[in-house]
Amino acid sequence: MVQLEKVSKSFPQAPRLLDGVDISVPTGCRWGLIGPGASGKSVLLKLVAGLLRPDAGRVILAGRDMTAATEDEQNEVRTRVGMLFQNYALFDFMTVAENVAFPLVRRGGVARDEIDARVADRLRAVGLAGSEAKRPSELSGGMKRRLGIARATITQPEVVIYDEPTAGLDPVTTSKVYDLLQADHEATGGTVLAVSSDVAALRSFVSRIAFIYQGKLRYDGPVEHIEEAEDPVVRQFVRGGMEGPI
Amino acid sequence: MPVKTIAGTLGSTIVGLCRETGGMTVLLWRVLRALVPPTLDWRELLRNLHKMGNKSVPIVVLTAVFTGGIMVIQSGVFVRRFGATGLVGWGAGYAVFREVGPILIGLMFSGRVGANNTAELGTMTVTEQLDGLRALAIDPVRFLIVPRVVAMITMLFCLTVIGDLVAVIGAVVVAQALLGVSPWTFYWSMIEHLHPVDFTNGLIKALAFGFAIALSSCHFGITVRGGAVGVGRAVNNAVVAAAVSIFLLDFFLTYILR
Repeated sequence: MVQLEKVSKSFPQAPRLLDGVDISVPTGCRWGLIGPGASGKSVLLKLVAGLLRPDAGRVILAGRDMTAATEDEQNEVRTRVGMLFQNYALFDFMTVAENVAFPLVRRGGVARDEIDARVADRLRAVGLAGSEAKRPSELSGGMKRRLGIARATITQPEVVIYDEPTAGLDPVTTSKVYDLLQADHEATGGTVLAVSSDVAALRSFVSRIAFIYQGKLRYDGPVEHIEEAEDPVVRQFVRGGMEGPI
Repeated sequence: MPVKTIAGTLGSTIVGLCRETGGMTVLLWRVLRALVPPTLDWRELLRNLHKMGNKSVPIVVLTAVFTGGIMVIQSGVFVRRFGATGLVGWGAGYAVFREVGPILIGLMFSGRVGANNTAELGTMTVTEQLDGLRALAIDPVRFLIVPRVVAMITMLFCLTVIGDLVAVIGAVVVAQALLGVSPWTFYWSMIEHLHPVDFTNGLIKALAFGFAIALSSCHFGITVRGGAVGVGRAVNNAVVAAAVSIFLLDFFLTYILR
């Protein structure tokens, strides 16, 4: 379970970016978050992963209060979490294969042969077989994103966080990426948190969706009902209307 | 300029200075904590030792050869006037070992390795690679910073030893060519007048300079804000901070080790 209780976060250039946000994502749920640009979606994911500390409120991840935990305690929880970053966060001093193998190598306890087999399997799944020896700088944006997904999921984590898994990808590749994420989820049964600006594609993947606007959650419920939400802000955003309060 | 503006500029400069000094102190504490017990990533350490040390040898050798030669040229006027050929080796060796060698090699090292280190860490910061490490439950200080600090201190020490020896060779060649001082005379001048402490004092300085360059380049690298422009600014700040630190440390170490 992933839980946020009255979480607030401010930055000098963005006061009250998140303002008392409450979220509760049950284990095994595929949960999506949408919202306008600079509405704090990526910050919220970083708060969940413990990469940022909230100004107020609590973040509970895999049963542990991340806001009260020390860095070592947070690291213990992070070994059960996989994360895809908006800017990929690929290590440019490593090859493609080394990037994917890195989480397994660092955690230890897995034989080299098994690591190689799992890396090959993951790279085949994301369509990057044959690129093992390349550096991330030699890959296109879409390939980097798929590499990021491979690295985030190689350990089959309990919680996977995807920040813009399909940004900048063409519609066909977007569908392929979501098919891959869905297959991964069906195989592991983990909890998924995904943020995307591509509302239509995200809606096809998640079972629950939330909308954030001006620091507050304006909707958090079944994906099929969001278009008929009571809040006119939510309806306008989801429908992409020109007329409305936004 | 109005007094208010002067006071504002002075105030923001002092606040900025305190912020950077405080940041470096925190980083120093985290590095020391990561070293006890020493849990180094040996692969990262070896990679950095090679990149920072081996690849700096040509530029250090070039700098050192000319440094040695310049010391002899500067003293040449007096050697000719007073016929003091027996002091050329001492003069060149004393200046190179104690002062010019560590300082010039330190500044070259800061420009080449320190600047590159800041740019590399800065790029990693703005592309979220440090957050990527943390998300994988890896402490960036332990994994990235500590090997770099150890590699920079070790390699500046080694490069100063190499540089000192090469500078002496440069000085011998120039003394023979311009002043007609034989290598044998030069050698005995050094042996008779120089003491091991002249050499070791320079190496102590090299260790301190390596530490200052490592700390400032890593600090400015991991605190980059503002994308590519921020990385450029950080490199500039790191090089300036390292140069200032080198001269400050040199002043105090020269006073203590005199």
